[in-house]
Amino acid sequence: MTPLIAAAPQFVQPEIWWTWLAPYLLVLGAAVVGVLVEAFVAPRARRSTQLTLALVALLGAAGWNVWLWVDQFAPTEFKAIALVNGSLMVSYFTLALQTVILVVAALALLVVADRSRGADDFAPTAAAIPGSDYEELARTKGLQQTEIYPLFLFAVGGMMLFPAAGNLLTMFIALEILSLPLYVMSGMARHRRLLSQEASLKYFLLGAFSSAFFLMGMALVYGYAGTINLWAITNGHALQVPEALVGGRPLLVMGVVMLLVGVLFKVGAVPFHQWTPDVYQGAPTSITGFMAACTKAAAFGAVIRIVVWFAPFIGLDLHEEIQVTIVIVAIASMLLGSVLGVVQHDVKRLLAYSSIAHAGFVLVAVAGVLPYDGQTFVFPMNSAVIFYLLAYGLATVGAFAVVRLVRESQGRGADAVTLGEATHLSQWAGLGRRSPFLAVAFSVFLLSFAGIPLTAGFIGKFTAFKVAVDGGLWWLAVLAVLCSAIAVFFYVRIIVLMFFVDPAADDTEPEPAREVVAVGALGATSDAPVGTPLAGEPEAGVGLRLSDELRRTSGGVTVLKGSVGSRVAIAVAMVGTLLLGVLPGPVLDLLEKTVNFLP
Amino acid sequence: MMTSTGEAVLFWVLAPAMVLGALGLVFARKAVYAALSMIFVMVCLAMVYVMQQAEFLGIVQVVVYTGAVMMLFVFVLMLVGVDASTSAVETIKGQRWIGILMGVGLGTLLVTVTARAALPETVGLDEANSETNPAGLARVLMSDFVLDLEIVATLLVTAALAALVLTHRRRLTPKIGQPERAAARMLAGDHPVNLPAPGVYARHNAMDVPALDPEGNPIEASVSRVLRIRGQEHSLDTDVTTLVATRDAAELTGDHGTDTAAERGGQNDDTDAATTEGEA
Repeated sequence: MTPLIAAAPQFVQPEIWWTWLAPYLLVLGAAVVGVLVEAFVAPRARRSTQLTLALVALLGAAGWNVWLWVDQFAPTEFKAIALVNGSLMVSYFTLALQTVILVVAALALLVVADRSRGADDFAPTAAAIPGSDYEELARTKGLQQTEIYPLFLFAVGGMMLFPAAGNLLTMFIALEILSLPLYVMSGMARHRRLLSQEASLKYFLLGAFSSAFFLMGMALVYGYAGTINLWAITNGHALQVPEALVGGRPLLVMGVVMLLVGVLFKVGAVPFHQWTPDVYQGAPTSITGFMAACTKAAAFGAVIRIVVWFAPFIGLDLHEEIQVTIVIVAIASMLLGSVLGVVQHDVKRLLAYSSIAHAGFVLVAVAGVLPYDGQTFVFPMNSAVIFYLLAYGLATVGAFAVVRLVRESQGRGADAVTLGEATHLSQWAGLGRRSPFLAVAFSVFLLSFAGIPLTAGFIGKFTAFKVAVDGGLWWLAVLAVLCSAIAVFFYVRIIVLMFFVDPAADDTEPEPAREVVAVGALGATSDAPVGTPLAGEPEAGVGLRLSDELRRTSGGVTVLKGSVGSRVAIAVAMVGTLLLGVLPGPVLDLLEKTVNFLP
Repeated sequence: MMTSTGEAVLFWVLAPAMVLGALGLVFARKAVYAALSMIFVMVCLAMVYVMQQAEFLGIVQVVVYTGAVMMLFVFVLMLVGVDASTSAVETIKGQRWIGILMGVGLGTLLVTVTARAALPETVGLDEANSETNPAGLARVLMSDFVLDLEIVATLLVTAALAALVLTHRRRLTPKIGQPERAAARMLAGDHPVNLPAPGVYARHNAMDVPALDPEGNPIEASVSRVLRIRGQEHSLDTDVTTLVATRDAAELTGDHGTDTAAERGGQNDDTDAATTEGEA
């Protein structure tokens, strides 16, 4: 390992181990090349170039990670490798989590790239004012905003760095690198653009606010330890706090809690969840899937890194403070996510509340962290969390990929116009008859969310709750099981709706008039307990218009076929979910290595 | 290292001022005042940095934040409208009070917890600044934090790309320049070149009287459209024509009428009055 602190009077050139940095360089380098592609490649060839570049980068980085694991890391006795003077700290946990992120991101990318007839999720140009002539012109000219691909790669790069950060500064920069592209991509929806832009702005403002908390936490921790290097903060007083630092412990406690606020915001745990429903609903659906799956994985990596670095080693008092914080947040997230999920009428909002509940379930595992007993450096929660995130990520990307294919439509036959997503639950009635493949896939994802046996979600929940029980928090595990039971209700309700309810709106007769709730540019569609049905636009490509009058919609629902890529993504996600549910053994065995000290 | 007296005095002068500035940032209704408060806080912060022997950070604070970022901020405010003020309407009732309560709660928590902390003597400043502060900083940046420096670069690329995505509008319609405008005018059968200038006559303000074509008929289009719409145009009736004719004759004979100048002055006054009225 390289020396962690270089306080030498002479300049010491840091050792840079390119082999270990290659995955980050590959993804971030591909993103930068993607920016150049925007400048130098002809518009016609841009999308295919970008897509190829991005897929190669993601899968290449994933493959490289696997190689690092098998060929470079396994033969050594190290538990972690510090890169560039400790800016990054690579361990089995990091490699595994990054690989999960990369694979899920590659699936999400296939969905993002879906531009088959009527299925494009992105505005022709995000700079056009919603409803303007310019937007209409851009739409008819078939413009595409291919900058999404580099933005996507930047976000993935940030997500890879986030759980690998070896000092708090790297962690903060990674947090920003992953957030910034997401803020922008959330505002690029093709349909209901005002809602999308509102979501983007909310996400940005609240995200900036939470970053400020993270920074403040960094400052306080630095005030305590005099360093921001995670290793250096704990090293030297792993078992006994030096006399000089005892007085500063309040700073450390406050600092760590504020760091947690910053990362729990990204996770979407209560009470830092307010952005989740609005942003999940407003963002382009394929981006919502990516955001829900990969951001959560990256942010939980950071949560674990903070918890494992700070909780077990720096004295029992800090362990207790952190554990109490995590337990409270976990309980609040599970309860609020499950209970409010029941009353949602909009599929995307429902999945948003479900993601809040899932954040709570993962935190149940995190709460099981034990104080260091002086002998073992083992954290069983590491593997449980990675498995949970893999299961959740696959199901989430798949579920949102299905949601975006169920569209409202107007007109019939050849001149039917596809509009935005038919997100109201009533529009999902009878989907099983219309499109069996999508309905079955969606059911599998929902069952996995619910944690029904034979799906990945069950194994995920089982291992996660087991960690809590082993950690002495059996009552928390019981509560988690109860919350899962509440959540089963709304998942199963959708399945019943898809397979056993006749479609309310038959193609021959229009659905009864639904009230279009006026959606202001700001403010509306808050956490209203009852989901607000949003009618589509009579014209395709135009954002949601401000309107307080009643409007009739034809209520037609079409199910798009989607591109080959997105169907492959759905199929892979479904197979993966089932396979992990039936045969979790090999994966769990692999992840067994991540439980060692140093996440 | 102990805090010197000078440092303590400067701190107790700057700190309350900064708190006031920060409060001004929060409570100012006008965006410009808020921005100015922020600049004030930032300059004070720079002084604190310098006082604590972080000279580089102090200078950067002034150059980058106060100089560049805040000035851009003020420019944007100017563009958006200096008079714009915060709307005080609550979209969710009682939100403000809940917000204040939470904020005060968080503040109390932070202050009480951190006040409990007893920090040891700080060490290591002399070592860090042994070879001037910027040099020490450069050493750390280029060794321990070189990776961070590099990934900040990608963050900047992201920011630039994001800004372009949100604001850059590609031109979708052909650019309309002078040749295109001229061609369009010709096609539409409009006047191909500049419109004729209004007539210039001694007794009139030249703008409001039409020119005459070679046959002596007034050209309507030579008077500004605005004046025509306002009805401030002076028709070139026969009187004027004869007047002009007689003046020409008089000039030929060398007889300069004194009354013309007086009349012209009167005319001018009228026009001025009319113009002001029009503008009002």
